[in-house]
Parts: sequence; C-alpha cells; structure tokens
Amino acid sequence: MIRAEDNELVARVVSSQDTRAFGELIRRHQSHVRNFLRKLSGDMSAADDLAQDCFMRAWDKLHTFSGSGSFIGWLLKIAYTTFLQSKRKSKRYAEILEQVGHVSEVESRSHSTPADEVSDLDKFLAVLSEEERAIMVMSYACGLSHREISDATAMPVGSVKSVIFRGKEKIRTSFDIKDHQHG
Amino acid sequence: MAERIKDEQDRLLESMFESAPVADDGFSKQIVGRIRRRLWVRRITLPAAVLLGSLVAYQPLAALIKGVYQLLLSMPGDLVPSISGSLPSLQLIITGALILFVTLFSLNMLED
Repeated sequence: MIRAEDNELVARVVSSQDTRAFGELIRRHQSHVRNFLRKLSGDMSAADDLAQDCFMRAWDKLHTFSGSGSFIGWLLKIAYTTFLQSKRKSKRYAEILEQVGHVSEVESRSHSTPADEVSDLDKFLAVLSEEERAIMVMSYACGLSHREISDATAMPVGSVKSVIFRGKEKIRTSFDIKDHQHG
Repeated sequence: MAERIKDEQDRLLESMFESAPVADDGFSKQIVGRIRRRLWVRRITLPAAVLLGSLVAYQPLAALIKGVYQLLLSMPGDLVPSISGSLPSLQLIITGALILFVTLFSLNMLED
C-alpha cells in the first residue's frame, strides 16, 4: 500500500473529518511530540497528558495548517504553546497555593525524575532556560531547521540561531563536554 | 540542521538529545476515541435540542396556528375572496408542517 503524505492526510481530515487519517497522523508523529514534551517538562505522565491536549488542539486547528512547512514543525508549535499555557496555569496555581499558605506541590511535581535516574541530557537541560531548552530540543532532538523553529516559536531566525549558540555555550561552560565523548 | 555545517559539538549534542522512539501503545487510539466521542456529542446535541424545543413549542405553536386560522375564517368574504373554501383543515396544516420539518431535518442529518 502506498504511504499517503502528511499533507494528503491533513486534506482528508479537513475535507471530511476523517478520524482514521488523523489517527495515522498521530501514529506517525506521537513519538516526536511526546519526546519533545518529556524533555521540556521532565515529567513523563504530565508530558503525555500535554501531548493528548496538543493533538486535540491540532484536530481543532488543522484547517489552519497551510502545508508550506513540515507537519511536525506545525505540531511542535502547538505542543510548545500547550506546554507554555500549562506552565502558566501551574504557576498561577502555585501562587494561589502559596497565598493560602500551602507549600507549592506543583513546583515539587515538575522535573520529578529521581536523582539516581538523572541522565547527562537532564543535566544539560537543567542549565538551560525554558526557551533555550525548547529550541535546543527542537533543533537537536527533533531535527527541525532554524526556519521551522522560527515558525514554531514565533521568533526571528536570527534569534533562534543566537539562542542555540547561547545554549551550546552554556552547556560547554557548565560541563566538560569532551568527557561525554568517551563515556 | 541542514542549513549549516555541523561541528563536533553539534554531532555530540545530537547524539545526546537522541532518544528511543516512544511506542504508541494505544495513545493514538485514545485520542481518536476522544475525538469521535466529541463529534458524536456535537452531532447529537443539535437534534436533541430541536426535539426538546419542538416538544416545548408544540402547544403554543398549535394555539398560534389555530388563532390565525380562526382569524382568517372570521374575515369578511370580500376582503379574502373564497378563502374559507380553499383553506385546508387545521389538522392537515399541522401535520404538513411537521412532515416538512422532519424531512428537512432528516436530510440535514444524512448530509452530516
């Protein structure tokens, strides 16, 4: 069977609300989206919930996909927005909890990886700001071009390049990166 | 990444950021299920609202049609010539309106 292109599947979804075609799109891209959100949030189950929300939003907004860029780039844009919105909500929730005298459980929930399971990548990501982390993950984990990252983050290409450069510098200065090359 | 030459650190970072593909394990089915449920709810909401509205509006609507019918019958013959002879019965009007409504509604449902 010939494998339909992403754009073809999108057209089928938009024209006839074909849930099978959308299911195929999810199967193709869920791994990238979930990995992206897992690296951003550091919490696997929260990331998977966000990924579900992301695909539900994608279903609602699919008619806005112009087809000029890659579908995964467009999906990661939604994933990033979903992540930022959830982060803002958590922050507001934490502030309310603090106001009523509770210790912020939201803060303690984020990055809930046990200390003995912290990988080199987690250490790298920890030195980066949220924005840098998102852009570095899009670039190095998802293989997006600078143009695609620029579309996904609504930042100029030049800014994307400088964020990547800054991120690399931070990693270089925080870690003796050459050590990792030899295990 | 294709738009620039990768240096050693780029390649190293790529290998560091590389992660095993996440297995679907029913993830896509779960989302498609959610979407189908939502579509079903959306499809059923309008017909249910129309049915409920019809049930509520039936009595006042019938009274209104009856009132208009009585008004037309009570008009002088020279104002509405031969109207009293050509008007169908009240029951026929209501039945016709209901059949028209149900047909249009069913056609709309079939299109969906």
